[in-house]
Amino acid sequence: MNERAAGRRAFSWCKAFTMWRLHCFILALLACSSAALANSQAITLINGQKSIELSVAELRKSASLEFSLYDPYQAADVEMRGIPFRDFLIEHFGSVPSALYFTAWDDYAVSLSGWDDPDWILVTHENNQPLTLRGRGPLRLVERDYADRDTENLREFNDWLWMIRSIEAKW
Amino acid sequence: MRPASSVPEPPQSNSLKGKRYVSWLTLSLMSFIALMILVGYEARWVYPEIRAYFSQTGNLTGQQLATRSRVYLQEVQTELLVSSPPAQDPPFLLTRLELAYGLFDVAVYRQTYSCVEPSLAQLDRLMSRLAQGEVDEVSAVRNLLAPIQCLTMIEMSQSDLRGEAINEFADDTRRHQVVLTFASLVIFLLGLVFWWRHECQLRRTRRATLQTLEWMEHAMRDPLTGVGNRSALHQDVLAADKQSHGLLLVDIDYFKQYNDTLGHPRGDEMLCRLSALIDEALNHEASLYRLGGDEFAALLPCGNRKELAHYCEGVIERVHQVAFEHPAHPDQKPVTLSLGAVCFVAGDTDFSLVYEAADKALYHVKASGRDGWKMADCKSCTSRSVCGAKGSSERRILARDLGKKALEERT
Repeated sequence: MNERAAGRRAFSWCKAFTMWRLHCFILALLACSSAALANSQAITLINGQKSIELSVAELRKSASLEFSLYDPYQAADVEMRGIPFRDFLIEHFGSVPSALYFTAWDDYAVSLSGWDDPDWILVTHENNQPLTLRGRGPLRLVERDYADRDTENLREFNDWLWMIRSIEAKW
Repeated sequence: MRPASSVPEPPQSNSLKGKRYVSWLTLSLMSFIALMILVGYEARWVYPEIRAYFSQTGNLTGQQLATRSRVYLQEVQTELLVSSPPAQDPPFLLTRLELAYGLFDVAVYRQTYSCVEPSLAQLDRLMSRLAQGEVDEVSAVRNLLAPIQCLTMIEMSQSDLRGEAINEFADDTRRHQVVLTFASLVIFLLGLVFWWRHECQLRRTRRATLQTLEWMEHAMRDPLTGVGNRSALHQDVLAADKQSHGLLLVDIDYFKQYNDTLGHPRGDEMLCRLSALIDEALNHEASLYRLGGDEFAALLPCGNRKELAHYCEGVIERVHQVAFEHPAHPDQKPVTLSLGAVCFVAGDTDFSLVYEAADKALYHVKASGRDGWKMADCKSCTSRSVCGAKGSSERRILARDLGKKALEERT
């Protein structure tokens, strides 16, 4: 009996410990998620030594260009809203840099040039909903006119940029 | 006389030949250009394909989206199972799940794989529960197994598809290579054939040109003695630079009697000997011409009348030295010559007048008993106005005669 009682005590201690861990975990999770969401709500612009953070919410407010586009990744026509990327660059960097170095929330990083092109849009909304990480947001760069590219071949759209975290100007 | 068939083709025929020649060359060049275009086209076809299948590192679709999504889910699993408590910095659990969801939620996966919709729904539920703190670690880890399994299956299937696509591409490439090889070979051979035709045409043209030049050379040459004829004399005078020249007209005395006595073959032989002798006497500096019958002309650079007189004297003396036998000479002499000479500046003087002056001097020698020389005073022929006033009609007749004789020589 004593053994059984001792076993029960041990089990209840163990259960209590497990519950404590779970509570810790949930608290940590909530802290993490709120921090992550808070982080993903901003974009960092780097120009030489100067670095600024822009609120995604502000960008969403200023997004006024609406258009409809066939999104090959969703295989559907999607209503998009955003900001002409060239205007965005001129506003924040003074002019269009010769190249840009992007990092994304999924740790994707790439350097691309040729941004003096009105076709590129920094998209903030999709079907009237603000973009989130799970929707490959909160900021996404898409090309409005993709000419004769085959929409069935996603490899032809691998210069689209998702989940943009920071943009660094390369002059 | 050259036969009619050997007369150069008329200009119209030449131009047609020229057009044909250009055509072969053009065809040949076009073949090689077509070859280059074909190679360029094939290269252009292959390059994007290679880029699509083999150069995908470092861009959005370089690594499968499913792979990246699975890695995020496995990171979450690891974090849930290993860390105690789970990491707070950087905050990534929900972020990782969101990222995994975003990379998982792609139309092509949804359309192709039936496990995608339930897996996404499961992830969605899990994220909601985690956000509300309603799930324990073990349950969360277990809930991630199905999506990870689905993603793994997608990865394998996509890899197979990619492999198939690469194999298909490799087959296409091989097929294109075969087409390219044969097409290149055919075009190259065509180019070679056209080039060969062009070369043949070129050789024919060159041969025709050489024949024409040869014929012109013959037309300008006396076939018996090998010296120039009357046409050559006019040609050379026209081509001569504006310098002082001497013209000698040489006539064999009593050559008709020589021929009548010894026969024409001996007469021809004598003509040859005399032409060689005159050439030798003039130190091989003169151009010799046979103007017809027994009349020769020599054209040579000559600074002044004295020099020309020296040449004339030299010719007469040389003939005397050699003393060719002339059985029918009325004066019982060997073969003798009569010379008429004149000094003139080529280009400044009407050659018909020069010729006329030398001819008069020659006939003066003939009239004076032959076997000698006389130099004409060409003062009258150096001035066109004086000559023209003196005997223009005579000059025209002479010029016409000279042209006629030249034509006769040519034909």
